[in-house]
Amino acid sequence: MNTLIILSAVGVLALFSEMLNFKKALGAIILLGLVGAFAADVMAWNTNRHYYNEMMVVDNFSVAFTGLLIVITFLWFIMSPDFFREPSSRIDHFALIIFALIGGQLMTSYNNMLMLFLGIEILSIPMFILAGSNKSDLKSNEAALKYFLMAAFATGFLLFGMALIYGATGSFQIQNITQFIKSQQGNIPVMLVAGILMMLVGLAFKVSAAPFHFWTPDVYTGSPTVITAFMSTVVKTAAFAGFFRLFSMCFESSSATWANTIWALSALTIIIGNVTAVYQTSFKRMLAYSSISHAGYMLMAILALNQYAQGSILFYATAYSISSITAFAVLLLVSHLAGNDSIESFNGLAKKNPLLAFATVLAMLSLAGIPPLAGFFAKYYIFTAALQQHYTGLVIIAVMGSLIGVYYYFRIIIALFKSENDDVVIPVNNTFKVFLVVTSVAALLLGIMPQLVAGIL
Amino acid sequence: MVQYTFYFLSFLAILSALMVVVSKNPVHSVLYLIITFFAIAGHYVLMNAQFLAAVHIIVYAGAIMVLFLYVIMMLNLNADVEPHKSKWLKFAATITGGLLMIVLIGALRNVSENAAAGLPGNDIGLVKNLGRVLFNDYALPFEVSSILFLSAMVGAVMLGKKEIK
Repeated sequence: MNTLIILSAVGVLALFSEMLNFKKALGAIILLGLVGAFAADVMAWNTNRHYYNEMMVVDNFSVAFTGLLIVITFLWFIMSPDFFREPSSRIDHFALIIFALIGGQLMTSYNNMLMLFLGIEILSIPMFILAGSNKSDLKSNEAALKYFLMAAFATGFLLFGMALIYGATGSFQIQNITQFIKSQQGNIPVMLVAGILMMLVGLAFKVSAAPFHFWTPDVYTGSPTVITAFMSTVVKTAAFAGFFRLFSMCFESSSATWANTIWALSALTIIIGNVTAVYQTSFKRMLAYSSISHAGYMLMAILALNQYAQGSILFYATAYSISSITAFAVLLLVSHLAGNDSIESFNGLAKKNPLLAFATVLAMLSLAGIPPLAGFFAKYYIFTAALQQHYTGLVIIAVMGSLIGVYYYFRIIIALFKSENDDVVIPVNNTFKVFLVVTSVAALLLGIMPQLVAGIL
Repeated sequence: MVQYTFYFLSFLAILSALMVVVSKNPVHSVLYLIITFFAIAGHYVLMNAQFLAAVHIIVYAGAIMVLFLYVIMMLNLNADVEPHKSKWLKFAATITGGLLMIVLIGALRNVSENAAAGLPGNDIGLVKNLGRVLFNDYALPFEVSSILFLSAMVGAVMLGKKEIK
């Protein structure tokens, strides 16, 4: 709750910065605010308090995911400022990002369908706007409009599902719905099943699981790269936190009605995401498809729902976000100089900018799931959780998908070491160097000591 | 009596909703949409939600419709300017939409009538009760939605203002 208040205050303060003349200090104020919010979040560990008539519950799950969201946003703020040249648009961008973070926080700690809906909307609306924030670029406009229309359609499904669930159970409260499902003793009314499946469609859209993934490549490619970095890390993590919370807390006892659907969603997402990523020539588009495939792996945790599932999805989201934000940070620098985001523009980076190349290699290896990096243990935990529930077929599909993944991630690494004639060294400032070193070390450290994150839930 | 009104309103709502999609002239679509909104407002009255019905008419049939007409006027969409969509796309969309409808109808056909949880009392939709619930039980969502509107407003300003060169 304190986290929510601090973040809201920071967001509103950012809007006032132009009027009250502290534009220059805005970056520092936001970073301080995020540190404060993180501290408030950590203080709530193990308190398990319920707020405002059970609207919000701050339990350890929500504390852990909110902490992760704040940390990634902090990294994002360190990475991004240089890319907003105009100070006036910086203010809007920063305020909107903070608001989106508030939406993400609500999605981790809701205890009422209404709060889930508000969280999704507060997260999405800033994203529509930010996707189109490069007004002179036609692709950015297309991304914003496409994202908005598709998301509005998916939200329609989500709301229809909530309405049907309310009709069947008579409540929006998570506990009441859980109790209702338990009291039916396996004889679940059809209206509830229809509602759950409708909500599943809406949420699968938000996490970009196939076959609801068609918006992802275009929106990720069209949006400004900084915004794509935020979308593929914070937005995805928050969406998965909300998804996992709903299905583990609320619909768990009716899992027979939706387990097969999620099985198919997960398998389709892994296959389509990985196979399509192989054919991409643009690095940004490849990362978009790779983010689709990672959504498929994370869906396996929602399917498994045993005592390992919580820790494994948290660890997966952490490992994926850290590697992903590193990859996008390098892409920002490279594409800024090259003028496009093709894989070729990475050629010869190892000789020109060893640090950038080193960070890219670690990020790619981690995303591909090569030990001893974080991505390996992330996949290991998720596969173990799924295997314990005897989803052997799905795990085999997932392992094959990861093998295809190794191929396209290594294409980037090979490009880094290709010899190139022009020797234009990309200028990297010190903050950025620190950022790259920190994220790379984090990817390594999480790989060596995965229990640091996976063990807390 | 209530039942006949229900059937009449449902028929009107579905028919005019179909006409929204089918009619070629966008202005006609908007006018049919107004009829749909009024029919739905009638449903709210049938369910004892008078306040909701009033708000629905004011917001949707009033404000949103004016916005729609305004956009149509600005874009100068008169008749037959809608982009040509391929036949296969229309065909596929009809099939998938129809399939979803069949599945939903098939699933919900056998729902027993008392499945919907009983509503607590007849005066549930009155402004007084609504306000009491909104500002007591739902105080947090009410406050949080201000962040939603704030971000939408910031976004509108951001997209609307001129880039400073």
